[in-house]
Amino acid sequence: MDSRDSTQSTAAGNTSGEDDSGVLSVTATLAKEAALYFQSRKFDECLDLLKQLLDKKPDDPKILHNIAIAEYFRDGCTDPKKLLEALNNVKNKSEELARATGEQTEGGGNIGNKVGLGSKGSGVVGNQVSAANSGSLVYMDEFDVSVAKLNIAVIWFHLHEYAKALSVLEPLYQNIEPIDETTALQICLLLLDVALACHDAFRSADVLIYLEKAFGVGCVNQVDSGSMGQQSTNLLAKYSSVPSNSSTADASNSDLAATVNASENALSRTLSEETLEDDTVLALSSLEISGQNLTRPVGLSSNELSRTLVDRSISTVDLKLKLQLYKVRFLLLTRNLKHAKREVKLAMNIARGKDSSLALFLKSQLEYARRNHRKAIKLLLALSNRTEMGISSMFNNNLGCIYYQLAKYHTSSVFLSKALSNSASLRKDKPLKLLTFSQDKSLLITYNCGLQYLACGKPVLAARCFQKSSLVFYKQPLLWLRLAECCLMALEKGLVAPGRSLSDGSEVKVHVIGKGKWRYLVMEDGFRKNGHVDSPEKDDSSLGSDGQPKLSMPLARQCLLNALHLLNYPDLNYSKFGLPSNSSVEESESSEGASSKNLNHKSLSSLDSKISVGLGQVTANGDAKDQKGGTSLEVIQNSLSYYEDVCRRENQMIKQALLANLAYVELEMENPVKALAAARSLLELPDCSRIYIFLGHIYAAEALCLLNRPKEAAEHFSMYLSGGDHFDLPFSREDCEQWRVEKIIDCEELNGGPAAAKNPSPEDSQDTMFPKPEEARGTLYVNIAAMFAMQGEFERAHHFVTQALSILPRSTEATLTAIYVDLMLGKSQEALAKLKHCNHVRFLPSGLQLSKSC
Amino acid sequence: MLSQEESGRVFEMLKSQEKPVEEIVSDLISTFPRHRHFVLCTTLSLLLQDKKALNSTERLVAFAILHHSYCSQKPSANPFISLIINSACDDEVEKFERAFLLQLLSSSSSNSNKEFLKQSAADYIKGFDPSSHAFPQREQLQQQYCDKVHPEPFNSAYINASTKNAFPDPDLPHGCDPNSPEFDFQPGAKTKLGAGSRDETVTGLLTHLSLKGLDPRWIRPLPPRFPVLDRELEWLIPDNNHELLWDHGMCADTSRGAAVRDLIAKALKGPLLPAQYEQVVVELANDPKLVYHCGLTPRKLPELVENNPLIAVDVLTKLINSPEISEYYTVLVNMDMSLHSMEVVNRLTTAVELPKEFVRILYLTFKVRDSHIIKLLRIYASSRYVDHCRVICSTSSPLFLIY
Repeated sequence: MDSRDSTQSTAAGNTSGEDDSGVLSVTATLAKEAALYFQSRKFDECLDLLKQLLDKKPDDPKILHNIAIAEYFRDGCTDPKKLLEALNNVKNKSEELARATGEQTEGGGNIGNKVGLGSKGSGVVGNQVSAANSGSLVYMDEFDVSVAKLNIAVIWFHLHEYAKALSVLEPLYQNIEPIDETTALQICLLLLDVALACHDAFRSADVLIYLEKAFGVGCVNQVDSGSMGQQSTNLLAKYSSVPSNSSTADASNSDLAATVNASENALSRTLSEETLEDDTVLALSSLEISGQNLTRPVGLSSNELSRTLVDRSISTVDLKLKLQLYKVRFLLLTRNLKHAKREVKLAMNIARGKDSSLALFLKSQLEYARRNHRKAIKLLLALSNRTEMGISSMFNNNLGCIYYQLAKYHTSSVFLSKALSNSASLRKDKPLKLLTFSQDKSLLITYNCGLQYLACGKPVLAARCFQKSSLVFYKQPLLWLRLAECCLMALEKGLVAPGRSLSDGSEVKVHVIGKGKWRYLVMEDGFRKNGHVDSPEKDDSSLGSDGQPKLSMPLARQCLLNALHLLNYPDLNYSKFGLPSNSSVEESESSEGASSKNLNHKSLSSLDSKISVGLGQVTANGDAKDQKGGTSLEVIQNSLSYYEDVCRRENQMIKQALLANLAYVELEMENPVKALAAARSLLELPDCSRIYIFLGHIYAAEALCLLNRPKEAAEHFSMYLSGGDHFDLPFSREDCEQWRVEKIIDCEELNGGPAAAKNPSPEDSQDTMFPKPEEARGTLYVNIAAMFAMQGEFERAHHFVTQALSILPRSTEATLTAIYVDLMLGKSQEALAKLKHCNHVRFLPSGLQLSKSC
Repeated sequence: MLSQEESGRVFEMLKSQEKPVEEIVSDLISTFPRHRHFVLCTTLSLLLQDKKALNSTERLVAFAILHHSYCSQKPSANPFISLIINSACDDEVEKFERAFLLQLLSSSSSNSNKEFLKQSAADYIKGFDPSSHAFPQREQLQQQYCDKVHPEPFNSAYINASTKNAFPDPDLPHGCDPNSPEFDFQPGAKTKLGAGSRDETVTGLLTHLSLKGLDPRWIRPLPPRFPVLDRELEWLIPDNNHELLWDHGMCADTSRGAAVRDLIAKALKGPLLPAQYEQVVVELANDPKLVYHCGLTPRKLPELVENNPLIAVDVLTKLINSPEISEYYTVLVNMDMSLHSMEVVNRLTTAVELPKEFVRILYLTFKVRDSHIIKLLRIYASSRYVDHCRVICSTSSPLFLIY
């Protein structure tokens, strides 16, 4: 016992100093050297040492881990899959070993409990182990797999596999306390990047708050320092308490001093200074950072302190800038533009004198979000490293976005295709490094291209883009909605099935048969009614022979159903557009297992969202701008609740569009029952826009007529009847505007007078095509006339169709219905006259062919 | 719809008025594949509804085709039965045609009377004697041939409402009578304005008539394209570079951890010596992560509390951010109440901010054990352990205050 104690104490005194002689074991020395070689990127030498180590400790997971990493770098970072495999093996092996030992100790513990106090229990393990076989002595941290897991997540992140990265990171984050500070910080930063890439505001907020709490560097914000000092970290408390402890003052002092040197490595990982126990480094740096505002640690001599300041100043600022930029990204994501503006300014200040293209990009994004497009372009042009392929690709893409918003679709397409070709050459030129992968954002650019093609009315190209980008976006309801829109546009343009199309449909083909006395007119049928474009049996696969999506109504239906499913069952694990409803937040909470008992900070997120709901009342009017200043915690929470609101509203909009499209598609496919169901659920949506309510009624009525239920169909019309036989406008112009206003509000409120005036936004009215209220009324007249005609009430039908023709004189449908009604009323001459006056009639002579066959 | 070629062939056959009807019918039925019969018959039925389009012999042949295409089944299964019956009862229709139809109808029931089909249509008309025929009422015929057992198949109102999509548009000089034969096509004669050939029209109609006909049109507005959302266009920014990390834990010296582990194990069994206690505290303070690896589990906590309450407080204070802390609290709340456990709670409440939840549970527990506390108090009071009384009181009162 005594001897053990003495060795312990020497060890305690010495472990920290790397220059202390003798005590360090051979393996530890080798390990340190290997780490040095690794840091100076001498991978061959590093691997030599690692191999030696492996001889001494065969199958040691950590050695294997470092070998895998070093080999990967030595081989030029070409094979991430292989590295992934190796890391997974390491992880599994470690976990296996840990489990085995865990059982052992647990077993011991059990015995202890049963036998009672003072029995062997865990003590047995401790006593049996001698110093000699301490190599096999098992500690949980020896099998700590957090670094391996983090590396796995890093690879997934660079491969854009965010869901997989999340699945690795999330458990690490949930149990982050035991993990040493360097790794923990990396985990948080990576998780933050992943969450932001997934547009997951809730998770990002959680991590941001945690970073601020635990590392105290998060948000160097106005008032915060005081509260931060208080809430920030037991770390601080721990560290400042250390020096006061007289017995270890010296040891810990040297400890601190030594680790200070290593801090550079810990933070930037570029310099090859000697590293020690990294855990302390960040804690220290956090102490340092907040120490700027707070009291300095007592135990450090001024000499040492000044040195640490000099040494670390750069990386500290780097970290500060990094976190500041994360915060800006979060605020931009949650569209808290006001605060984003403030924070981005702060970031620019921190970044002063340094190249931070990210800061510029974000500033430009801010202006873009505020619809100051000119300024956004100017900022992009200020990028110094535009010629670099990766940057250039992003630069062009962003210009493409701006021009799209300016409704200059052609210019937009030029930039977007430039961005794509940049991306492609990036892939070609450089070796496949991880960073290259992550710089390859072609799939995201492709999505933008898809939108642009859709706006230009090129459904096939658009669909191809959306299909490609579905690799990333397959969980996004919007993607599926867009694909369905491609199908509908193709239908509209007659690209779905040759010879039968809606645009042709506005034209009536009339065959002129015979001559003179025997001349007959035959009107071609089969337009619209036969909208059934692709019979389902020949449409087994939605892909054509060339692997491209074959645009069809069944495909449209499938896409819409996908989207609805995704909307109804949002998957929290990967939500680009932060779908979580309250219920899903709770779900995730409970899925964390013992969350009901969870009293620690992890329940923060749910608490926050609850609090923020309360706060959200204040800002219900849209913008989280009312709270001036406030702690960053409040800012984050307010942004969240605002964002939650925005998401809810947007999802509602998407749902309306989905159901309306679905009803339409079902009608096209001659499924009136399903069409009716879709239309009814559309009508049942809370806060449904009046435009979509109108469409819902129209579709439902048509479906009911097809189902021979004209009485019920009439009910759908009757709500628009205002006394007698007149219809109100089913919706107003404002209803159409409303959908656009959502975007503009921010800009008007934030820009104030003159700036807003500079930004003409009515341009983007082009990119939607809402029906005009007056036309909608005409539609009502036509349809109700058709309905009466079908019921044999030709006089009433005649009345309505006359109204319809006065509103929509050029409408083919109105004319055809009028002709039909005339024919049924026996007024064939009037019918003929209408037919001959109709603009859209094409008379097809058929004499030539006939002479042949006769 | 019939193809050009098909309609030409059909019309040729309709026109051959000298052939026996039976022969024409069987010719036609055999030359047309089975699946085209319905299309053929539909077109013919549409033509028959226009009383002018076909002449009388052609009409007879056409009806015969309608009837015979389905003569293997019951008359009620013939989709055109109502057209046949209606024409048979129509007073405006020529008597010979009505008689012909009646004969057609009855021919399917009794095999005997098929002689009339052996003559040509022209001969039938020529030899027609109206006096030898009686014309029954519509109801009677319907009863006889339309089987009520077969309900009408489901038809959409659309289809029911549809009307023929062809209508005459005579192209004649103003004021001329469209019915006058003067405009009929004369072979060889010079074509004059307003003249037209019926043949051409009939084949044309055969080609273009369709079952669906003309019906009232419905406007089905295309749903508007969804506006592009603010966040929808992907704005790109450079990624942060996340490098792969070297695992510095490789072959790291874990001896200090081992020492603390040993000491903690000892602390579970009995009070530590002051020096040992000091070492634990120092080591735990040196390495903030050590506490997670010191071998303590929630299950072992009661032993630690009983033997070394001060170490328990230290460890719990350091574990405050651990995800396991709630488990530790639960254990602490549930363990047997003793002086040590109360002291731990007492110190914890002052050292760290305990979660409200925990305090609430604690309070409830204490309340339940109120009697126990009082008992303890009595014992200690009587034995003059004033110090212990202070612990108990100070433990309880802050809790009450917090609560």
